[in-house]
Amino acid sequence: MPHQCVRCNTFYEDGAEEILKGCKCGAKLFFYIRKDRLKKVKEETVNLTEKEKKEIEKDVIGMVGGDMPKEKPIVLDLESIKIRKPGQYDLDLVKLFKGEPLIFKLEEGKYVIDIPESFKKLKK
Amino acid sequence: MLNALQMFLNKFINNIFNKKKHIKLGLYGPPNAGKTTLANRICQDWLGEDMGVASNVPHETREIQIKEQVNIKSGNKEISFNLVDTPGIATRIDYEDFLKVGIKEKEAKKRAKDATKGVIDSIKWLDEVDSVVVVLDSTKDPYSQVNITIIGNLVARDIPVLVVGNKVDLKRAKLKKVKAAFPQYEVIGISAKKGNNIDDFYETLFKVVK
Repeated sequence: MPHQCVRCNTFYEDGAEEILKGCKCGAKLFFYIRKDRLKKVKEETVNLTEKEKKEIEKDVIGMVGGDMPKEKPIVLDLESIKIRKPGQYDLDLVKLFKGEPLIFKLEEGKYVIDIPESFKKLKK
Repeated sequence: MLNALQMFLNKFINNIFNKKKHIKLGLYGPPNAGKTTLANRICQDWLGEDMGVASNVPHETREIQIKEQVNIKSGNKEISFNLVDTPGIATRIDYEDFLKVGIKEKEAKKRAKDATKGVIDSIKWLDEVDSVVVVLDSTKDPYSQVNITIIGNLVARDIPVLVVGNKVDLKRAKLKKVKAAFPQYEVIGISAKKGNNIDDFYETLFKVVK
Protein backbone atom coordinates (compact mmCIF):
# COMPACT_ATOMS: atom_id res chain seq x y z
CA MET A 1 0.00 0.00 0.00
CA PRO A 2 1.57 3.28 -1.01
CA HIS A 3 2.21 6.25 1.22
CA GLN A 4 2.51 9.70 -0.25
CA CYS A 5 4.52 12.58 1.10
CA VAL A 6 2.37 15.58 1.83
CA ARG A 7 4.87 18.18 0.71
CA CYS A 8 6.41 16.76 -2.47
CA ASN A 9 3.83 14.07 -3.35
CA THR A 10 6.50 11.32 -3.70
CA PHE A 11 5.11 7.80 -3.27
CA TYR A 12 6.72 5.21 -1.01
CA GLU A 13 5.87 1.53 -0.69
CA ASP A 14 5.09 -0.12 2.64
CA GLY A 15 8.10 -0.41 4.94
CA ALA A 16 10.13 2.20 3.12
CA GLU A 17 12.77 3.79 5.33
CA GLU A 18 11.52 7.27 4.48
CA ILE A 19 8.15 6.58 6.11
CA LEU A 20 9.89 6.10 9.46
CA LYS A 21 12.59 8.74 9.11
CA GLY A 22 10.85 11.35 7.01
CA CYS A 23 10.78 12.06 3.30
CA LYS A 24 13.90 13.08 1.40
CA CYS A 25 12.36 16.56 1.05
CA GLY A 26 12.30 16.87 4.86
CA ALA A 27 8.55 16.52 5.41
CA LYS A 28 7.33 14.05 7.98
CA LEU A 29 3.64 13.83 7.20
CA PHE A 30 2.44 11.05 4.93
CA PHE A 31 -0.87 9.75 3.90
CA TYR A 32 -1.90 6.24 3.18
CA ILE A 33 -4.05 5.27 0.23
CA ARG A 34 -5.52 2.11 -1.15
CA LYS A 35 -4.14 1.11 -4.55
CA ASP A 36 -7.55 1.09 -6.18
CA ARG A 37 -8.01 4.70 -5.20
CA LEU A 38 -4.59 5.78 -6.34
CA LYS A 39 -5.57 6.79 -9.85
CA LYS A 40 -8.58 8.77 -8.65
CA VAL A 41 -6.48 10.37 -5.95
CA LYS A 42 -3.94 11.69 -8.41
CA GLU A 43 -6.69 13.20 -10.53
CA GLU A 44 -8.29 14.90 -7.55
CA THR A 45 -5.01 16.41 -6.42
CA VAL A 46 -4.33 17.86 -9.84
CA ASN A 47 -7.74 19.49 -10.00
CA LEU A 48 -7.12 21.90 -7.15
CA THR A 49 -5.31 25.16 -7.77
CA GLU A 50 -2.78 26.52 -5.28
CA LYS A 51 -5.23 29.31 -4.42
CA GLU A 52 -7.96 26.75 -3.70
CA LYS A 53 -5.62 24.68 -1.54
CA LYS A 54 -4.73 27.73 0.51
CA GLU A 55 -8.37 28.72 0.80
CA ILE A 56 -9.28 25.24 2.07
CA GLU A 57 -6.45 25.23 4.57
CA LYS A 58 -7.43 28.64 5.90
CA ASP A 59 -11.07 27.58 6.29
CA VAL A 60 -10.21 24.44 8.22
CA ILE A 61 -7.64 26.04 10.48
CA GLY A 62 -10.27 28.69 11.20
CA MET A 63 -12.70 25.93 12.13
CA VAL A 64 -10.45 24.06 14.55
CA GLY A 65 -8.39 27.00 15.73
CA GLY A 66 -5.12 25.06 15.67
CA ASP A 67 -1.89 24.50 13.70
CA MET A 68 -0.81 21.85 11.25
CA PRO A 69 1.25 19.10 12.89
CA LYS A 70 4.91 19.71 12.11
CA GLU A 71 7.19 17.42 14.07
CA LYS A 72 6.50 13.71 14.00
CA PRO A 73 5.51 11.59 11.00
CA ILE A 74 1.80 10.87 11.00
CA VAL A 75 0.12 8.33 8.76
CA LEU A 76 -3.62 8.51 8.39
CA ASP A 77 -6.22 6.44 6.67
CA LEU A 78 -9.34 7.90 8.16
CA GLU A 79 -10.93 11.22 7.86
CA SER A 80 -14.20 12.46 9.20
CA ILE A 81 -14.51 15.43 6.88
CA LYS A 82 -13.32 15.61 3.33
CA ILE A 83 -13.13 18.88 1.46
CA ARG A 84 -13.44 18.48 -2.28
CA LYS A 85 -13.13 22.18 -3.13
CA PRO A 86 -13.44 25.37 -1.09
CA GLY A 87 -17.03 25.38 0.21
CA GLN A 88 -17.72 21.70 -0.63
CA TYR A 89 -17.67 19.31 2.29
CA ASP A 90 -18.37 15.57 2.64
CA LEU A 91 -19.04 14.50 6.20
CA ASP A 92 -18.66 10.95 7.48
CA LEU A 93 -21.46 10.94 10.03
CA VAL A 94 -20.67 7.48 11.32
CA LYS A 95 -17.16 8.56 12.31
CA LEU A 96 -18.38 11.86 13.74
CA PHE A 97 -21.04 10.17 15.87
CA LYS A 98 -18.53 7.59 17.06
CA GLY A 99 -16.47 10.44 18.43
CA GLU A 100 -13.41 9.52 16.40
CA PRO A 101 -10.76 12.26 16.16
CA LEU A 102 -11.87 15.15 14.03
CA ILE A 103 -9.77 14.89 10.90
CA PHE A 104 -10.27 17.26 8.01
CA LYS A 105 -8.95 16.13 4.67
CA LEU A 106 -7.80 19.21 2.81
CA GLU A 107 -6.72 17.37 -0.31
CA GLU A 108 -5.19 13.97 -0.93
CA GLY A 109 -2.21 14.03 1.35
CA LYS A 110 -3.04 16.92 3.59
CA TYR A 111 -5.05 16.80 6.78
CA VAL A 112 -5.86 18.93 9.76
CA ILE A 113 -6.58 17.19 13.04
CA ASP A 114 -8.50 18.92 15.78
CA ILE A 115 -6.00 17.96 18.47
CA PRO A 116 -7.58 19.62 21.54
CA GLU A 117 -10.88 17.97 20.65
CA SER A 118 -9.24 14.58 20.17
CA PHE A 119 -7.54 14.81 23.57
CA LYS A 120 -10.86 15.65 25.22
CA LYS A 121 -12.27 12.46 23.75
CA LEU A 122 -9.29 10.43 25.00
CA LYS A 123 -9.81 11.70 28.56
CA LYS A 124 -13.38 10.36 28.51
CA MET B 1 -19.61 29.83 54.93
CA LEU B 2 -23.14 31.01 55.69
CA ASN B 3 -23.78 31.31 51.95
CA ALA B 4 -22.57 27.79 51.31
CA LEU B 5 -24.82 26.49 54.05
CA GLN B 6 -27.77 28.39 52.65
CA MET B 7 -27.11 27.03 49.14
CA PHE B 8 -26.92 23.52 50.51
CA LEU B 9 -30.19 23.95 52.37
CA ASN B 10 -31.90 25.44 49.31
CA LYS B 11 -30.76 22.53 47.17
CA PHE B 12 -31.87 20.05 49.81
CA ILE B 13 -35.32 21.65 50.10
CA ASN B 14 -35.66 21.87 46.32
CA ASN B 15 -34.82 18.20 45.98
CA ILE B 16 -37.51 17.23 48.43
CA PHE B 17 -40.31 19.56 47.40
CA ASN B 18 -39.62 20.43 43.82
CA LYS B 19 -40.73 17.45 41.81
CA LYS B 20 -40.70 19.44 38.57
CA LYS B 21 -38.42 17.88 35.99
CA HIS B 22 -35.66 19.96 34.45
CA ILE B 23 -34.13 18.54 31.32
CA LYS B 24 -32.16 19.56 28.27
CA LEU B 25 -34.24 18.85 25.21
CA GLY B 26 -32.44 18.79 21.86
CA LEU B 27 -34.08 19.26 18.46
CA TYR B 28 -32.17 17.24 15.87
CA GLY B 29 -32.69 16.39 12.23
CA PRO B 30 -31.64 17.00 8.65
CA PRO B 31 -31.52 20.54 7.23
CA ASN B 32 -34.85 22.20 6.42
CA ALA B 33 -36.98 19.69 8.32
CA GLY B 34 -38.42 22.47 10.50
CA LYS B 35 -36.40 22.30 13.72
CA THR B 36 -36.32 26.07 14.19
CA THR B 37 -39.99 26.40 13.18
CA LEU B 38 -40.86 23.86 15.88
CA ALA B 39 -38.56 25.62 18.38
CA ASN B 40 -40.34 28.87 17.58
CA ARG B 41 -43.73 27.19 17.95
CA ILE B 42 -42.78 25.83 21.40
CA CYS B 43 -41.34 29.18 22.52
CA GLN B 44 -44.36 31.09 21.21
CA ASP B 45 -46.76 28.70 22.97
CA TRP B 46 -45.04 28.83 26.34
CA LEU B 47 -42.95 32.00 26.42
CA GLY B 48 -44.68 34.20 23.86
CA GLU B 49 -41.50 34.85 21.87
CA ASP B 50 -39.52 33.39 18.96
CA MET B 51 -36.30 31.43 19.33
CA GLY B 52 -34.55 31.84 15.99
CA VAL B 53 -34.94 32.68 12.31
CA ALA B 54 -36.45 29.98 10.11
CA SER B 55 -36.16 30.09 6.32
CA ASN B 56 -36.50 27.97 3.20
CA VAL B 57 -32.75 28.05 2.61
CA PRO B 58 -31.04 24.94 4.05
CA HIS B 59 -28.58 25.48 6.91
CA GLU B 60 -30.23 28.67 8.13
CA THR B 61 -29.32 27.65 11.70
CA ARG B 62 -25.55 27.23 11.82
CA GLU B 63 -24.97 27.62 15.53
CA ILE B 64 -26.51 25.87 18.51
CA GLN B 65 -29.34 27.98 19.94
CA ILE B 66 -30.45 27.56 23.53
CA LYS B 67 -33.58 28.86 25.20
CA GLU B 68 -33.46 28.39 28.93
CA GLN B 69 -36.29 27.69 31.32
CA VAL B 70 -39.15 26.75 29.02
CA ASN B 71 -42.01 25.32 31.11
CA ILE B 72 -44.63 23.23 29.40
CA LYS B 73 -47.75 21.82 30.98
CA SER B 74 -50.02 18.97 30.04
CA GLY B 75 -52.88 18.21 32.43
CA ASN B 76 -51.44 18.52 35.93
CA LYS B 77 -47.90 17.67 34.84
CA GLU B 78 -45.19 20.17 34.13
CA ILE B 79 -41.72 19.93 32.63
CA SER B 80 -39.14 22.63 32.76
CA PHE B 81 -36.43 22.40 30.15
CA ASN B 82 -33.70 24.12 28.24
CA LEU B 83 -34.56 23.91 24.57
CA VAL B 84 -31.57 23.29 22.30
CA ASP B 85 -32.08 23.97 18.59
CA THR B 86 -29.28 22.46 16.52
CA PRO B 87 -27.95 23.01 12.99
CA GLY B 88 -29.19 20.46 10.46
CA ILE B 89 -27.11 17.31 10.08
CA ALA B 90 -25.99 16.49 6.54
CA THR B 91 -23.50 14.21 4.82
CA ARG B 92 -22.66 16.72 2.11
CA ILE B 93 -22.59 20.49 2.20
CA ASP B 94 -21.97 22.30 -1.06
CA TYR B 95 -21.77 26.06 -1.48
CA GLU B 96 -23.17 25.68 -5.01
CA ASP B 97 -26.56 24.82 -3.47
CA PHE B 98 -26.58 28.25 -1.88
CA LEU B 99 -25.68 29.96 -5.17
CA LYS B 100 -28.92 28.54 -6.59
CA VAL B 101 -30.96 30.54 -4.08
CA GLY B 102 -29.20 33.77 -4.93
CA ILE B 103 -26.45 33.89 -2.28
CA LYS B 104 -23.16 35.34 -3.57
CA GLU B 105 -20.16 33.00 -3.91
CA LYS B 106 -18.10 34.36 -1.02
CA GLU B 107 -21.04 34.30 1.36
CA ALA B 108 -22.07 30.83 0.06
CA LYS B 109 -18.62 29.41 0.83
CA LYS B 110 -18.69 30.91 4.30
CA ARG B 111 -22.17 29.52 4.84
CA ALA B 112 -20.94 26.05 3.80
CA LYS B 113 -17.99 26.30 6.20
CA ASP B 114 -20.20 27.45 9.08
CA ALA B 115 -22.79 24.76 8.30
CA THR B 116 -20.06 22.09 8.43
CA LYS B 117 -18.92 23.35 11.80
CA GLY B 118 -22.58 23.39 12.82
CA VAL B 119 -22.90 19.67 12.07
CA ILE B 120 -19.84 18.92 14.20
CA ASP B 121 -21.23 21.04 17.06
CA SER B 122 -24.65 19.40 16.85
CA ILE B 123 -23.07 15.98 17.21
CA LYS B 124 -20.87 17.13 20.11
CA TRP B 125 -23.94 18.51 21.86
CA LEU B 126 -25.46 15.04 22.02
CA ASP B 127 -23.30 14.55 25.12
CA GLU B 128 -25.18 17.40 26.78
CA VAL B 129 -28.83 16.65 26.02
CA ASP B 130 -31.15 14.40 28.06
CA SER B 131 -33.91 13.82 25.51
CA VAL B 132 -34.18 14.42 21.79
CA VAL B 133 -36.95 15.32 19.38
CA VAL B 134 -35.90 14.20 15.90
CA VAL B 135 -37.63 16.47 13.40
CA LEU B 136 -38.12 14.92 9.95
CA ASP B 137 -39.74 16.33 6.85
CA SER B 138 -42.64 13.95 6.20
CA THR B 139 -42.72 14.93 2.51
CA LYS B 140 -39.28 13.36 2.07
CA ASP B 141 -38.00 9.79 2.05
CA PRO B 142 -37.39 8.86 5.70
CA TYR B 143 -34.83 6.17 4.83
CA SER B 144 -31.89 8.51 4.50
CA GLN B 145 -28.42 7.97 5.88
CA VAL B 146 -28.76 11.09 8.03
CA ASN B 147 -32.05 10.03 9.65
CA ILE B 148 -30.94 6.49 10.30
CA THR B 149 -27.54 7.54 11.66
CA ILE B 150 -29.06 10.11 14.02
CA ILE B 151 -31.73 7.80 15.41
CA GLY B 152 -29.38 4.82 15.61
CA ASN B 153 -26.88 6.82 17.63
CA LEU B 154 -29.49 8.18 20.02
CA VAL B 155 -30.60 4.66 20.78
CA ALA B 156 -27.01 3.51 21.27
CA ARG B 157 -26.55 6.33 23.79
CA ASP B 158 -29.80 5.48 25.55
CA ILE B 159 -31.27 8.93 24.93
CA PRO B 160 -35.10 8.99 24.85
CA VAL B 161 -36.31 9.87 21.34
CA LEU B 162 -39.52 11.32 19.98
CA VAL B 163 -39.72 11.30 16.18
CA VAL B 164 -41.73 14.12 14.66
CA GLY B 165 -42.97 13.94 11.07
CA ASN B 166 -43.26 17.63 10.29
CA LYS B 167 -45.06 19.43 7.44
CA VAL B 168 -48.17 17.19 7.55
CA ASP B 169 -50.18 20.15 6.27
CA LEU B 170 -48.59 19.63 2.85
CA LYS B 171 -50.40 17.33 0.40
CA ARG B 172 -47.32 15.32 -0.45
CA ALA B 173 -46.66 14.47 3.23
CA LYS B 174 -46.48 10.74 3.89
CA LEU B 175 -46.59 10.25 7.63
CA LYS B 176 -47.31 6.54 7.27
CA LYS B 177 -43.98 6.11 5.56
CA VAL B 178 -42.20 7.83 8.45
CA LYS B 179 -44.03 5.61 10.95
CA ALA B 180 -43.17 2.51 8.91
CA ALA B 181 -39.49 3.52 8.84
CA PHE B 182 -39.24 3.87 12.63
CA PRO B 183 -41.81 1.42 14.04
CA GLN B 184 -40.09 1.07 17.41
CA TYR B 185 -40.39 4.78 18.25
CA GLU B 186 -43.14 7.21 19.09
CA VAL B 187 -43.79 9.04 15.81
CA ILE B 188 -46.08 12.01 15.81
CA GLY B 189 -47.22 13.99 12.77
CA ILE B 190 -47.38 17.76 13.14
CA SER B 191 -47.21 20.99 11.25
CA ALA B 192 -44.92 23.24 13.25
CA LYS B 193 -45.77 26.11 10.91
CA LYS B 194 -49.57 25.79 11.05
CA GLY B 195 -49.80 24.33 14.55
CA ASN B 196 -51.55 21.07 13.52
CA ASN B 197 -51.52 18.40 16.21
CA ILE B 198 -49.28 20.39 18.54
CA ASP B 199 -51.23 19.40 21.67
CA ASP B 200 -50.65 15.72 20.84
CA PHE B 201 -46.99 16.54 20.41
CA TYR B 202 -46.79 18.01 23.93
CA GLU B 203 -48.66 15.05 25.43
CA THR B 204 -46.36 12.58 23.69
CA LEU B 205 -43.31 14.56 24.77
CA PHE B 206 -44.33 14.02 28.41
CA LYS B 207 -44.48 10.27 27.83
CA VAL B 208 -41.08 10.16 26.14
CA VAL B 209 -39.05 12.31 28.53
CA LYS B 210 -40.31 10.67 31.74
